[in-house]
Amino acid sequence: MFTRNAFLFGYNKKRRFIARELEKEPLNLILVVDEEASYHQAKDDGFREVIFMDLTDDELLENLKINDNDYLVCVMTDHYMNVFLTLSLHSIFPQAIILALSDSPHNTQKLKMAGASRIIDLYQVSANRIHNMLHKPVATKLIERLFSPEEEFSFKEIEIPKGSSLDQVMVNDFDFSEHHVILIGMIDERLSHQFIFITSGLENRFDVGDTLVCIGYNEDLERFEQFVGL
Amino acid sequence: MLKKLLTQLAFFLHSSKPYNRVKKIVSDFLLNSDYIYKKYFDIFMILLIISSVAILVYEVKHPVAPWVDFFDIYVVTTIFTLEYLARIWVHNSWHNEVVREYGDVKFLNKKFCLWSPTKRVLLDKLSYMASPTAIIDLLAILPAYRPLRVLRIFVLFRVFKLLRYTKSINQFLGVLGSKKFELYTLLFLLLFITVTAGIAIYVFEEKSNDSINSLFDALYWALITISTVGYGDISPVTPEGRVVSMLIIITGIAMISFVTSVIVSSFSEKLTELKENRLVEEINKEEDFMIICGYGQMTRMFLRHYEHEYAKRYIIIEKDKERVEEAIKEGYRAIQEDASRHDVIAKFNTDYAQVTLLAMTNSDVANIYITLNAKAISRNIRVISRASSERIAKKSRLAGADSVVMPSLIANRMLFTAITQPVMYKAVYAILTGQHLAQLDEVNTVYHQKIVGKSIKELRLKEQKLLSIGYESCKNRTFVFNPSLDYVIEEGDILLLMGRQMSINHFKETYKEIGYVHT
Repeated sequence: MFTRNAFLFGYNKKRRFIARELEKEPLNLILVVDEEASYHQAKDDGFREVIFMDLTDDELLENLKINDNDYLVCVMTDHYMNVFLTLSLHSIFPQAIILALSDSPHNTQKLKMAGASRIIDLYQVSANRIHNMLHKPVATKLIERLFSPEEEFSFKEIEIPKGSSLDQVMVNDFDFSEHHVILIGMIDERLSHQFIFITSGLENRFDVGDTLVCIGYNEDLERFEQFVGL
Repeated sequence: MLKKLLTQLAFFLHSSKPYNRVKKIVSDFLLNSDYIYKKYFDIFMILLIISSVAILVYEVKHPVAPWVDFFDIYVVTTIFTLEYLARIWVHNSWHNEVVREYGDVKFLNKKFCLWSPTKRVLLDKLSYMASPTAIIDLLAILPAYRPLRVLRIFVLFRVFKLLRYTKSINQFLGVLGSKKFELYTLLFLLLFITVTAGIAIYVFEEKSNDSINSLFDALYWALITISTVGYGDISPVTPEGRVVSMLIIITGIAMISFVTSVIVSSFSEKLTELKENRLVEEINKEEDFMIICGYGQMTRMFLRHYEHEYAKRYIIIEKDKERVEEAIKEGYRAIQEDASRHDVIAKFNTDYAQVTLLAMTNSDVANIYITLNAKAISRNIRVISRASSERIAKKSRLAGADSVVMPSLIANRMLFTAITQPVMYKAVYAILTGQHLAQLDEVNTVYHQKIVGKSIKELRLKEQKLLSIGYESCKNRTFVFNPSLDYVIEEGDILLLMGRQMSINHFKETYKEIGYVHT
């Protein structure tokens, strides 16, 4: 059993990928559906924890044992239901992180108002992708490869632990090329909790607790993570 | 002997690339409305016609300078003559006909007769020369023959030549052509009433009216009256004649109203079609443009964000009338057509322009069909197709799609990243949505020649707040991720940089130099 739960509200063929990938993560994945067909499909697909319930019933939602740091992912096909559920979850569990899927700017706005922490607009992301394909084909191919689990290079978040050799080192003084990784940006806990791109020109210093986002070959990233931990 | 020589000449012309290329270019200038440079030729010819007519009008009362006469007689006429001959030349190909006939005859083991294809070609050319437009072209050349002053009036035929170069007049005639039956009926009715009224007034007034001395006078009066012009030079003097006048005035008003309503209704019927044709014609003049098939949520989102970048270089093709109306209402350029039909995509200028087609309908089957349709018309059309799953994406690629977009897959990956790596999600989201803080951009050596021969270290990217992510190699178009600082950039490489838009623009400006585009 892991300490963190991920509740996926809504399940269908299109969401199988996200459920499968989440299953591989150190998270307890719980699928929550309000349709019998989805329930059976999820069971047939091999998911162990599937709950079939009325998602409009707040009492039933309260009984789900959701903790403050749990992920609540709203991917219902019915947009009205998705917004309503987001609102219900936000009112019952104000501290939980709610992620939602949207298919229009209007829906995105409603989900934001309903309390979703992060909203992914299906068509906006796709529209950007088409635009990038037309104007930056090489960059688009790279992004696709970075996202693909089969690729040999990817993104990685690395937190600087206590006693790390990177602690107190100025960003500009450290040569990442020696480790064959590229530092994209970081969260500097000392300055702010915001993500800062390394190309923004700020002169930062690495401190314990800062989170680095690097890209590189998987093996190099693993090696670099070990180096940061030393 | 002559037959052999001519046959050899036909084969030589048939296989001669320079000859066929020149003929193709001439044909494009004269006949191909999709050819991007044709409009310049048309404008040039229109200017020549206007100048020629202006000279004619001016010299009625003023003497003209010798150079103006020289320009009108020799320059304009020479150009018109050359154009006339060129049109006859490109109308058909004698050598093609000879080669085709020769092949057929040899296949059937028969005796080859050169005269037969030559006769066919000549007859075809003669039939073209007898066409109204070719006759106008010929008559437009005649005013150059000065001994016969009367030929000067043929300059007016040069005005008729404008028909060739102005689409709107042709469209107007086309619309009238669609109501040929109604207009002919009205014309016959007009003739019938005019002749009847003319005869009637002749019979009633020939003796009592001094202005009517012949049947021609009577017919002239009838036509002037029925058209409601009424000069007043001839007017009826007898009560019978006045009754005839009243009757044909009423008939004339009715007929004018009828003609007007026929023309207006034919225009309103054809208005949408004319507008759509105009849109297609406009886009065909662009060197690169985009055809977006389907107006759904995806297209809406794409245009909402990027329409300004494409300006007039896109067109939406949508089957559903309501959606087309919605798109037009939103201010987008849309036509109601079925993109899976061959003739719909074929009318776009795929030979000269760089065309990108987005198959964005809600149906996977339709998107695949549209992809196949586009690729069947031209392999040069770049197709980006939408797919709902990996399996459909595979089929789309098999159908020829250059790229496939899977909205649900992209969203799933984003969701997954947002859950598992929330910090990275922000970075990726910023990069994907092209926010100013972090752009991932390409520097192509074709347009930035100055970086060729420099090592990545020499580019001093760090000082310019830029990150080198990798490059696409010119050799095998493979992507080299995180290259060594010592790598020397070669011609044809595409460098991938990350940084703020400002930094990237500055870098591009510094190294901007256009080189040769290798094909």
